[in-house]
Amino acid sequence: MNLTPEQMTLGRRNFLKTIAGVPAVAAVGAAAVMKGPVRGGPVRVGFVGVGGQGRALLRNVDPNFAQVRAMADINPASLAAADEILKKNSQPPAKHYVEFRDMLQHEDLEAIITAVPLWMHAEVVTTCLDAGKHVLCEKMMAWDKAGYERMMQTAAKARRVLEIGYQRNYNPIYRSAHEGVMKTGVLGDVYHVRLAWHRNGNWRRKGDPPSKDFDASKWGYPTWDHLWNWRLYWRYSQGLFAELGSHQVNATNWFLGTAPERVQACGGVYRFKDGREVPDHVYAMFEYPGGVTGTFTSIESNAFDERYEAFFGTKGTLIIRNENDAMLFDEGAGARPTGVEVAPKGAGAALETSETKPAQAGGAAREVSASTEGARGPSPTMIEIQSFCSAVRTGSPLACGPEKASHSAAWTLAANEAMKTSAPVKIG
Amino acid sequence: MPDVLTRRNFLSFDFGDRRAPGDHWIRIHRIAMACRFEVMLSSEDAGHVGAARAALDEADAVESLLTVFRETSAVADLNRRAADDDVDVDAGLFTLLVRSHELHEETDGAFDVTSTPLSRCWGFLMRQGQLPADDAVQQARDRVGMPHVHLDPEHQTVRFARRGMEINFGAIGKGYALDRMASMLRAGGVRRALLSAGRSSVVALGGRGHGWQVDLRPRLASRLVGRLWIRDGGVGTSGTGEQFFEIDGKRYGHVIDPRTGHPAAGVLGATVVTSDGASADALSTAFFIGGPSLAERYCAGHADTMAVLVLDDTTERTQVFGSYHGATLEMES
Repeated sequence: MNLTPEQMTLGRRNFLKTIAGVPAVAAVGAAAVMKGPVRGGPVRVGFVGVGGQGRALLRNVDPNFAQVRAMADINPASLAAADEILKKNSQPPAKHYVEFRDMLQHEDLEAIITAVPLWMHAEVVTTCLDAGKHVLCEKMMAWDKAGYERMMQTAAKARRVLEIGYQRNYNPIYRSAHEGVMKTGVLGDVYHVRLAWHRNGNWRRKGDPPSKDFDASKWGYPTWDHLWNWRLYWRYSQGLFAELGSHQVNATNWFLGTAPERVQACGGVYRFKDGREVPDHVYAMFEYPGGVTGTFTSIESNAFDERYEAFFGTKGTLIIRNENDAMLFDEGAGARPTGVEVAPKGAGAALETSETKPAQAGGAAREVSASTEGARGPSPTMIEIQSFCSAVRTGSPLACGPEKASHSAAWTLAANEAMKTSAPVKIG
Repeated sequence: MPDVLTRRNFLSFDFGDRRAPGDHWIRIHRIAMACRFEVMLSSEDAGHVGAARAALDEADAVESLLTVFRETSAVADLNRRAADDDVDVDAGLFTLLVRSHELHEETDGAFDVTSTPLSRCWGFLMRQGQLPADDAVQQARDRVGMPHVHLDPEHQTVRFARRGMEINFGAIGKGYALDRMASMLRAGGVRRALLSAGRSSVVALGGRGHGWQVDLRPRLASRLVGRLWIRDGGVGTSGTGEQFFEIDGKRYGHVIDPRTGHPAAGVLGATVVTSDGASADALSTAFFIGGPSLAERYCAGHADTMAVLVLDDTTERTQVFGSYHGATLEMES
């Protein structure tokens, strides 16, 4: 990204420096736009899958909105770790199950939050929907098209809420960028979107089975590694396009108000030749209606670019870095960098006034960090779960229901197909 | 007091109204006039981010007109030529000069856009404060004085009666720029925004309830002085907490009293609330120089002007003069 150090400095201050380094923006009132579950109390929730991502969701459960009654996981170590989270957050212990079907049968639950390996999404979600439960399913939607179509149909038939967990939808930075920049035409006409998620490290996780006699094959994984590192095997995973790319493409679809129609891609296992199947470097180019072209790259050999979504318009450029830092630049030689920050209102003054502080950027508004004191709100993930619970209780609209999520899933599957066949793939 | 949405009352809140006040502030900002210009919107007004950017372009335009740091500006041109010629200036600049003239008269000479030679002789232009010799002060004073700036309204020209004079809108320009930005925003349909430049100049456009909350915290005062809620009006603050030097334990601030040629003393911070940003800016400087007696006299004679002065005494006493119809002030005890 061709930014001068000055621009980067400005950008780092800009647009939501509030949440730099912390998982939250707030949102005393970001939540205020939805209807809280006032009547009926917290939603009775069960978790299916409390591995790394499941526990990230569990950590973000607001007891005012959801009460975690039970948790199912095939790995007892994950359940023990989940217990610790509930304890740390002063929430009552939840009953353990190995089989999520047993949990559905024995517990009086209204909703399920699930974060299981991708290949199981369709089975878990449709089973829960059929059992009359509302479902918040971690992204991406499903391992294959048949799976996500079945999820959509089942949710419609069961008339239950199905939300797919793309937390950018609940991140006030993205919401502000959508409302204030994309919808207002500040960027002019956007013809190019660049998405990057670059890391320098090994996606393979190290970890031991919970016990010597733990038998992963009972669950469809020939070895412990196939379960523990399911993301590295095609049978369970759709690779980097799914785990990282679909986040950014889902947000781009939202911002552009449309979905890509065609994709070309390449990639491979270039650095970590350790028996994994899914590539450690992937590159995709994809076309939206109206001449908008996107690129997505994810590499595991260099983290200089970190992760960002950049929208290039005829009048300006919007860059959102690392989900917590947005920058806006005017297009043209005389362009002046303009920053946009979003800060929770909280209590207290909008501004502090004193004599002029000369010649310094950032001297005007009081420090945003100061204004968030005591007002730090929930993380996007927490808002996501709150919104899901509100949808269950009051029917408030979802940010990423099955149809929207299916578009980014379709892109993912098409990108993988394009990469594997070295040919452009039509989406849908 | 404005409603404060806490977590507790959030849970018992009626969420039926989707037009309820937005949840966060959006601050659109840019560096202009060597400080941060900012337009603050409530998130439900996010659709006006584009208008806010256009308003910031206006700040750039005002800077290009007024700056003395670029040879190409209208004011730089005026300063170069007005001792020799009647200089044509554009309507905006002429209006600002007329207003500066009025403010000079209304503040008994405390506000003066020609005091640059004094600031220079005290070293403040280079940010290298120094005690000048008496004759240097006297020489500078000879080149200072708004009465020596002749404004011809018919031809819209300006002439300096003395050589070596300079106009510098440092004490009014930011407020003026904010006023122009506010006019643009208003014309563009924006009904609520809080505009600021540096920490010192604020213009409120509309406002919910009592208005926008702005805390008064002059840098030399050791505490929060008061809380202000403002709707449709300008707030200007003057002080020397940022620009000063000390010799032998005595503090010399950058605000020079043009009537004596010496740094103003006796006030730690002066804040003025009135209908527009330019007047609020200028009056805060004037009252910082002229102290409580000028503030009292001025506010008695001018409706809709409120002044808050923190005095440089051992108790940092705060005095409030006048009132402004769009402002609610809550003093810190």
